[in-house]
Amino acid sequence: MSAFPHVLTVNIPLPSPRLATILSESLSVDEELSPHVHRTFETDGSTLVVRYSATTARMLRVSTNGVFESIKTLLETFQELDEPL
Amino acid sequence: MSPTSTSPPRRFIALGLEGSANKLGVGLIAHFSDNSPAQILSNLRDTFISPPGEGFLPKDTAKHHRAWIVPLIKRTLKESGVKVKDIDVICYTKGPGMGAPLQSVAVVARTLSKLWDKPIVGVNHCVGHIEMGREITGAQNPVVLYVSGGNTQVIAYAEQKYRIFGEALDIAVGNCLDRFARTLNIPNDPAPGYNIEQLAKSGKVLLELPYTVKGMDCSFSGILAYIDQLATQLAPSSDADSTTKSKQERKPLLDPATNNPITPADLCFSLQETVFGMLVEITERAMAHVGSSQVLIVGGVGCNERLQEMMGEMARERGGSVYATDERFCIDNGIMIAHAGLLAWRTGFETKFEDTTCTQRFRTDEVHVAWRD
Repeated sequence: MSAFPHVLTVNIPLPSPRLATILSESLSVDEELSPHVHRTFETDGSTLVVRYSATTARMLRVSTNGVFESIKTLLETFQELDEPL
Repeated sequence: MSPTSTSPPRRFIALGLEGSANKLGVGLIAHFSDNSPAQILSNLRDTFISPPGEGFLPKDTAKHHRAWIVPLIKRTLKESGVKVKDIDVICYTKGPGMGAPLQSVAVVARTLSKLWDKPIVGVNHCVGHIEMGREITGAQNPVVLYVSGGNTQVIAYAEQKYRIFGEALDIAVGNCLDRFARTLNIPNDPAPGYNIEQLAKSGKVLLELPYTVKGMDCSFSGILAYIDQLATQLAPSSDADSTTKSKQERKPLLDPATNNPITPADLCFSLQETVFGMLVEITERAMAHVGSSQVLIVGGVGCNERLQEMMGEMARERGGSVYATDERFCIDNGIMIAHAGLLAWRTGFETKFEDTTCTQRFRTDEVHVAWRD
């Protein structure tokens, strides 16, 4: 029986592999705060794959809600501040 | 022979992002290779103001910063006319400060660094205040009093470090003032400390409060506890509710000289005179130690005109003077982060991407001040 039984995988489609990579790299710098949560970021082409696993359902909910708020701001950053190549 | 034309000085531009407390600041600054004065291209700020009686919590503050940071950066670029290609470096507040708010800004700084392919520099918030104070006032080598809601430090520069000579042992002086504003239910708009300062101007009675200087350091939590207690003894106001009935049964706090009731204004006045007197004392102690007669006050509490006045009296007695900046620079802002970050970057400093974290504790003397002798 896993110590982190509550698992959520979120696939976020981005317009390009470049943006998926930037999103993954920017979010990866901050360590996950809670010892009750494991988190990984990966890219699959233009998709950001976020995997969370937690000891309790509550910790899963709290941590994934938190990362979504960051992702929302970074998507806005891409949309409003990315320079045309 | 025709005169040789000197080429124009090289211009360096930094974007600064600040969000360690409830102020979100975005600044754009230009430095010149001929060391002419720095040019402020943009200095925008949006403050998260909580309702009267409440402080600002990390989660709500981070939410505010996330909502405003992209619009503020967009406005900065638009109003300054600066193009992304002209920006040399992205600077952000690494610490000290509140965790979630710091992170909400840092993650955008990292993203811009990757999107725009620019180097990134993590800046110490306190060093940002000090360097901006030096730049704006031109003060040569003053003792620095850094006072805000989050920090209270007496600092002097020596051998490429800003050394802490004295500090608050428990809570910052600004935190003491802000929390007393909550006790009195004073509005937080534009800032609780500002409203305490205005109310104190109509205070007449100087009550004796604990005076807690401890050598080079000082302490404020005892004074806060004491004055919070006094506030419960104030005579009820005209819109008293049922909870103040028990206070009416107690004798309200009176001025022993006149038998008039003590007012909230009197308490604000007494608190300011006491804590500012303490700050003047520990600043003077540092000045005597290093042999300096100049004082530079930075940080949000540095806007307080009574503090500037009291510090000025002490400095003049020592044959010196006090330097202070206006609210554009003493209140947390992005331009000070851009400025301090650009100074560091020009010495060759850069923060590696994987190190662009934030930290709630970041001592002022941890920074190697490579840009000074």
